[in-house]
Amino acid sequence: MRGRLLAFVQALRTDGIAVSVAESMDAVAAVAAAGVERETMREALAAALVKDERDRPAFDRLFDRAFPLGGDDVVSRGRRRSAGGGEGAGAGRAGTSQAGRGGGREPESAGGPGLRPTGEREDAGRRGERERDDGERGPRMGRAARRQALLEQPLELLTTRDVAEARELVRELGARLRGRLARRERALRRGRLDLRRTLRAAVGTGGVPLRLRRRGRRPGRPDLVALCDLSGSVAAASELLLGLVAPAARYFRRVHLYAYVDRLCAVSIEQGHVAPAGRLDLHARSDFGRVLGDLWHRERGVLGRGTLVLVLGDARNNRLPPRADLLRAVREQVQRVLWLVPEPRERWDTGDSVLRLYATSCDAVIECLTLGALVAAVRQAI
Amino acid sequence: MDVTLEQVRSGLREARYITTPRVETALFLTLTLEKPLLAEGPAGAGKTELGKVLAGMLRAELLRLQCYEGLDEARALFEWNYQKQLLRIQADRGEGRHWDDVAHDVFSADFLLERPLLRAITSPRKVVLLIDEIDKADPEFEAFLLEVLSDFQVSVPELGTLTARQRPIVVLTSNRTRDLSEALLRRCLHLFVDFPGPEKEAEIIGLKVPDVDARLGAQIARFVAGLRRLDLRKAPSIAETLDWARGLCALGVRELDAASVRQTLSLVLKHEDDLRKAEAKVGSLIAAGRS
Repeated sequence: MRGRLLAFVQALRTDGIAVSVAESMDAVAAVAAAGVERETMREALAAALVKDERDRPAFDRLFDRAFPLGGDDVVSRGRRRSAGGGEGAGAGRAGTSQAGRGGGREPESAGGPGLRPTGEREDAGRRGERERDDGERGPRMGRAARRQALLEQPLELLTTRDVAEARELVRELGARLRGRLARRERALRRGRLDLRRTLRAAVGTGGVPLRLRRRGRRPGRPDLVALCDLSGSVAAASELLLGLVAPAARYFRRVHLYAYVDRLCAVSIEQGHVAPAGRLDLHARSDFGRVLGDLWHRERGVLGRGTLVLVLGDARNNRLPPRADLLRAVREQVQRVLWLVPEPRERWDTGDSVLRLYATSCDAVIECLTLGALVAAVRQAI
Repeated sequence: MDVTLEQVRSGLREARYITTPRVETALFLTLTLEKPLLAEGPAGAGKTELGKVLAGMLRAELLRLQCYEGLDEARALFEWNYQKQLLRIQADRGEGRHWDDVAHDVFSADFLLERPLLRAITSPRKVVLLIDEIDKADPEFEAFLLEVLSDFQVSVPELGTLTARQRPIVVLTSNRTRDLSEALLRRCLHLFVDFPGPEKEAEIIGLKVPDVDARLGAQIARFVAGLRRLDLRKAPSIAETLDWARGLCALGVRELDAASVRQTLSLVLKHEDDLRKAEAKVGSLIAAGRS
């Protein structure tokens, strides 16, 4: 039995369900404890091996293949065993060895004449599927590896499927960012000991400072203004950035999220998707000059001394007037301007990019080629 | 712990917790292998109830740790009782006691405020530790928890290492608002608690709201199952279904019809959008419920 279990674990791994050594040991222990009645064994193995419900269909498919139905023999023997054993840890262990011995007999029963045809069909089915799998998706990875790969994948090369997955990852990273800000704020609020108020409070307890008073310093919260380019080439990066900062909104005094192509448009994040407040022509030609004009003339109210301005874009202006003077004026009004560029450094200032003109008005220009870099940049910024 | 699957089944029946073989097997393994059980699933499917039922079944104390953003060791593990320490020092004043004695005194177990995790470890009897909504805690706390769950011992610098005399039964719940760390998943047995099917839910209604007759109970259960298939912001929980059954019962409704459903639907659906969406489908849902 143990051999069959390990073969099953191996099949799970081949199918992309990560199973650690500890988990496979759990699986053996679980079956030893729960017995081999088919459905009980299925649930026992699932509890030990499937840690993500999304893997369950694949698990069930492989389980049916590894322990095909019709092994009446297996079921009845399992019943007898769980009725006889099951008392005490010692009995549990005895169950294991029994299961081990039972395993020697099982291949015979599984290979019995009545079962062979099913087994062969199953095998053929599996081969077909494996080939299809490889053709379509290539080798599958465990969840953790997949996420690491997503963080390191150049944003330009993200496929639609990647973006969907990245969105989920971004939601989590956003929540983590929020947690970080919350902790920082708490630490600040705890603040320093307020000696005067502590002593005053101590009067009531005979001069013993039973209750410590802290200086309730409310940390100043900055405003956040994010401008994200939604034009084709960098849209994915922008969407991820917006998704990243949206959950942290509570820790800013005010958050203004904008998207732009040739015009500026206020947006909000609803369930991980960007929802523009007005009309936004995604196929227009990028025009940073006009966008900056919009910001300066229409939305100047959002700029203040405590404002952090995040701009994400490639600064490819289609040879239109860059109006770098407006960005300079914006810089004068706010605390910081950070420009995130989803393009490799070698391509900056080539062709119609006017990044150089804008860079002089920015506190930092950061290259963000991967989701990981984007996260690092946002962390650094806030 | 020495139990059989059959004992778990009958225990659950006694605790009036209606469930599936999947849940029974997972609980059985949790008790037998003494590993933490991570229950995931939609809100209101009865995950927290699992811990309570388990405690009731074993007649053990239930220690509950509700997780939230910013939960830290001081709230989860232990804290020194500063006020009490200060009082002690005040009371000793003038007796000319040696510093070492005082320090030894005020950093003893008497001055420790035990939070759920430490209580679970120091308890002389078997306890059930329910760590609720672990996904709400910060990842850092999760890492800390991992350490405690792996060998059930903690070290308090002044007292040394405390090891569990009785390994507590641990149930963690998560609504999957975020993915938990791989390391935590590896250490836990996993159970996905989904909403019960209409038959099971009708059974639950019959058990918890005995005034409802079986036919109405079945209609309610099928109607709610239909609601859960709609794309709602929040699917109705089992508790809400029970509230609804009680409400319908109080109104003297014998059979689900469009009027009574419209009148009481706000007991099951709490979001304006959901209500509007469901109201448009009341007719077809009732028809499905009757068949």
